[in-house]
Amino acid sequence: MSYPALDPSEARAYAERAAAAIGLPLSAEQMPAVAQQLAMLLAAAALVLDFPLPEDSEAAPVFEP
Amino acid sequence: MSTASLEASDAVGVAESVRARRATAAEVTERALARIAARDHALNCFTAVLADRARREAAAVDAAVARGEDPGPLAGVPIAVKNLFDVEGLTTLAGSRINAEHPPAARDAACVAALHRAGAVLLGALNMDEYAFGFTTQNTHYGPTRNPHDRDRVAGGSSGGSGAAVAAGLVPLTLGSDTNGSIRVPAALCGVFGFKPTYGRVSRRGAALFAGSFDHVGPLARSTRDLAAAFDVLQGPDAADPAASRRPADPVRHVLGQGIAGLRIAAVGEHFARGGEPEALAAVAEVARALGARETVTLPEPHRARAAAAIMTSAEGAQLHLTDLRRRPDDFDPMTRDRFLAGALLPAVAYVAAQRFRAWYRAAVRRLFDHVDVLLAPTTPFPAPRIGQERIMVAGEEVPARTTLGLYTQPLSFIGLPVISVPMARAPGLLPLGVQLVAAPFREAVLLRVAAHLEAEGVVSARIA
Repeated sequence: MSYPALDPSEARAYAERAAAAIGLPLSAEQMPAVAQQLAMLLAAAALVLDFPLPEDSEAAPVFEP
Repeated sequence: MSTASLEASDAVGVAESVRARRATAAEVTERALARIAARDHALNCFTAVLADRARREAAAVDAAVARGEDPGPLAGVPIAVKNLFDVEGLTTLAGSRINAEHPPAARDAACVAALHRAGAVLLGALNMDEYAFGFTTQNTHYGPTRNPHDRDRVAGGSSGGSGAAVAAGLVPLTLGSDTNGSIRVPAALCGVFGFKPTYGRVSRRGAALFAGSFDHVGPLARSTRDLAAAFDVLQGPDAADPAASRRPADPVRHVLGQGIAGLRIAAVGEHFARGGEPEALAAVAEVARALGARETVTLPEPHRARAAAAIMTSAEGAQLHLTDLRRRPDDFDPMTRDRFLAGALLPAVAYVAAQRFRAWYRAAVRRLFDHVDVLLAPTTPFPAPRIGQERIMVAGEEVPARTTLGLYTQPLSFIGLPVISVPMARAPGLLPLGVQLVAAPFREAVLLRVAAHLEAEGVVSARIA
């Protein structure tokens, strides 16, 4: 199953909810450009999420306890 | 040493003159300050010129020479650094207006201190895209840095001041940082050498982060030997940088004359051989011919690597600046703000998938290096766009002029591979273009051998405006 790329109105609706959830004020003036950028990032996300990674493929951030 | 030969000299040449008492660090410094005073108003490379500090450091170098002491391998070399590196007594802007409210840095960043110990003389701090989030150095707060070869065009970014200052001959050596191409893109567009070492090879202590998962520090210069001299000063472990490798330093200066015999070199095809202007792709073919490289290899899933790099960059950068994005979004540069805001809204699964994909991609690319030593790819898909240009025609298709500059650099820095962008020797009148030389992690030495060979053959050379 492939991940959907959002159309502009869907991206805008998502941006409004997600911004509210983390207390990020987005003005009506900012919203179209942010939604456009977000739609591009979500298209990139779909490309990565679509890739069938093996289960043993583990992230490699630097962390040493 | 004559004025003309000092001006035409690279960093190693300056240091040799100072060490051999053919020139003093003081006179080299005064000449560099005079060049900056005469020319930088038209280029906007510098956001701070540190004349007092420079004169103090130059005097200390000359005093060491007079006492018969070793003044260091970069004795008297004028340098300048991207303004995201801490410089003692100077506020670290990182290209932003917000950070201008910060107190001055208490001490130099590790990389600045290392160059200072080697005898270099710091002349100032250099312009960049706000928080390093850009490929063009069109900074709304501090103005765009202009390309010395055509002032109506961008210098590349985000280390645009670092590329243009070398290309204009203001200083022979600068420091930049590279997360998705920010050393290599300005080096290519300005016609100078740019070196992004392996992730973790050079300490980032005292450098403002952007996306810590792949923030790198490296030099821009007008010759291969300058890159090698700077790299030997910069490389090595640092417990204060959590991403720094524990590998001991592995000096490279002695490898420059070793030639390319025995090296397996191949161009990278598919993603890296399309989407660019014919002249950018032809540059790779020309370098391949000069190196006798006939093979073409392919990297697995480079378009997904670029997508994953964009996700991680946006999410890490946005989280880093989230407090300011919430409280004072209007103080961000309009060139970066919307992208940071969008990055803050990404779902967590996308970020984690990008991190896991990165590990998969690293393993796949490592296998490729089992039978190839050096890969060749274009640095940018086209030469410097005009300042303010939003869209550009590339190979018959209209694309965004700014983000597309990272088409070929992002899939490589994503997994921390060492890369040198070499400047093509082009006919006067043609804009500069670069080619990336890419090696397996920690194999910087082979890149320097190949770059030195190409330079000796006249295929690549820095162009100073």
